Amino acid sequence: MPKLILFAAFFKKEFILFRRYLVNSLGGMLTIYIVFLLLFGGYRGFASMAGAVGGSGIENLVVGYVLWFFMLTTYQDVFHTILLEARQGTLEQLYMSVHGFGWVMGAKAAAGFVVNLIFVVVLLIAAMLTSGVTLRLDVLSLFPVLLGTLLGVLGVGFAIGGVTLILKRIESYTQMVQFLLIGLIAVPAERFVVFRLLPGSYGAVLIREIMVNGKNLLELGVGNVLVMYLIGFAHLFLGYAFYKVCERKAMIQGTLGHY
Amino acid sequence: MVRVEALEKAYPGRKGEPPVKAVNNISFSVGEGSLVGLLGPNGAGKTTTVKMLCGLVKPDSGRIFINGKELTKRRIPALAEVSAVLEGNRNVYWRLTARENLEFFAALKGLNPAALRSEIDYYLEFFQLVEKSDVEARKLSRGMQQKLAIAAALIANSKVVLLDEPTLGLDVQASYEIRQLLKKIVEEQGRTVILTTHDMNVVQDTCERVIIINQGKIVADDSVHNLLDLFRMKVYKIVIQGELNAEQRQALGAMEEVVIEEESPQRTVISVRLEGSQILYDVIGILGSYNSVLESIDQEQNNFERVFLEILKGGVESA
Repeated sequence: MPKLILFAAFFKKEFILFRRYLVNSLGGMLTIYIVFLLLFGGYRGFASMAGAVGGSGIENLVVGYVLWFFMLTTYQDVFHTILLEARQGTLEQLYMSVHGFGWVMGAKAAAGFVVNLIFVVVLLIAAMLTSGVTLRLDVLSLFPVLLGTLLGVLGVGFAIGGVTLILKRIESYTQMVQFLLIGLIAVPAERFVVFRLLPGSYGAVLIREIMVNGKNLLELGVGNVLVMYLIGFAHLFLGYAFYKVCERKAMIQGTLGHY
Repeated sequence: MVRVEALEKAYPGRKGEPPVKAVNNISFSVGEGSLVGLLGPNGAGKTTTVKMLCGLVKPDSGRIFINGKELTKRRIPALAEVSAVLEGNRNVYWRLTARENLEFFAALKGLNPAALRSEIDYYLEFFQLVEKSDVEARKLSRGMQQKLAIAAALIANSKVVLLDEPTLGLDVQASYEIRQLLKKIVEEQGRTVILTTHDMNVVQDTCERVIIINQGKIVADDSVHNLLDLFRMKVYKIVIQGELNAEQRQALGAMEEVVIEEESPQRTVISVRLEGSQILYDVIGILGSYNSVLESIDQEQNNFERVFLEILKGGVESA
């Protein structure tokens, strides 16, 4: 129950800020959509020059872009929150929570997931309408695979957040992570098993299987989904463990809330 | 309520430099319902001590107990007993309203905001924020933001409240209001408040007891009243017209209790520390013998700022 209260508090805060700064929120969505339009236009341009318009390329582009956006917002929900709270002067208050900082960030990420989901659905519909592609939206299959995919990204968020606690002003470097996320989605994990060990990569394969090739959860194979979860939890565990090491160092140095 | 035993903390030095000892074997305890000031010059170790009490900085050695729970062993249960305002008005969410901030901070401390409606209303009224309850914190004055930050620390009903520089940057009126509210918190709610400050008015006006830290060590730990008594002395300020002549300057300069504070062709200010009344007669005699024109003689009030400076100069080892 107390953890539910914590989640509800973060969800309410996210929702209030979304509503209170609606114009800004919509502006962010519009920017993401415009970037998609540029990518889509560029893709069509290159494809027509090569004489290969159509096919599953566009579908993969839409799925990849929407998934990248979801992974990016999930990563930012952890890393950016740590950065922002330290800058605002409220990080120490989160650390003084009786829930423990891990749960606090978990609640923040869960609340962020719900809000981001709204953005993602709107973006997906807009991208599908613009590109004219039809994707399979099997929610019952998509939802659990999506959750498992984002576990690894949370781990990345914690790891980068930990580095931020120690090194502070490293934003220009952490921005590179958004390009790293593109790489994680784009690696050919279907063909090369080793790539499946990367955060989110195996999940990206399974999501493409559902949305582009029309498979459902059973067709994916329960074993495959479990392996994907296992990899996701391993990344989350490693990322969080690394974060705890950095946190301990920051507590020894006395720089936990400094920015 | 709060017990600190042999606390030590050194920060790693910069490249090639030795570690910097911030807190050096300090011990103290603070009982329920007290308001204690933690004082010291910049870099004395006050903030490090407070952050160790919040579980935000790891001590190298020593133990901290908050309401019987050992924070240095099991951090989370002890954190239920303590709240803090460490970054002043930055300790609240500026884009949330006053009420929303109180609700969020209650949830962080494990309480259901929906069940705390009357407590939230109480604190909004207590801190005179009722009219601003639905205003975003960023739109409040600095004094109001500071009050809101303290209210957010109190909403969880923690037994111990730690305040780092609660009146820093506030105007006279806001500072006075915060001081009165702090006294009220202790008197009416029986909370234990430990505050750090550079403002000696805050100490003299609100604290029953002070712990003075210098270079990581406690150099005084006593009630404000006792420390004022310990350093009680009469200081007279004598103002004469014009400058002293060479003989007067030499005679007054030979007296340990006399300080020539200011000298100009227009006026001279001399302070005399009185340990017996004879010295005052001697000074008046020296001034009178050369027909210096007395402008005024005033007795200076003993204040805590003077006591604090005397202690830092080494006027007392430890009480």
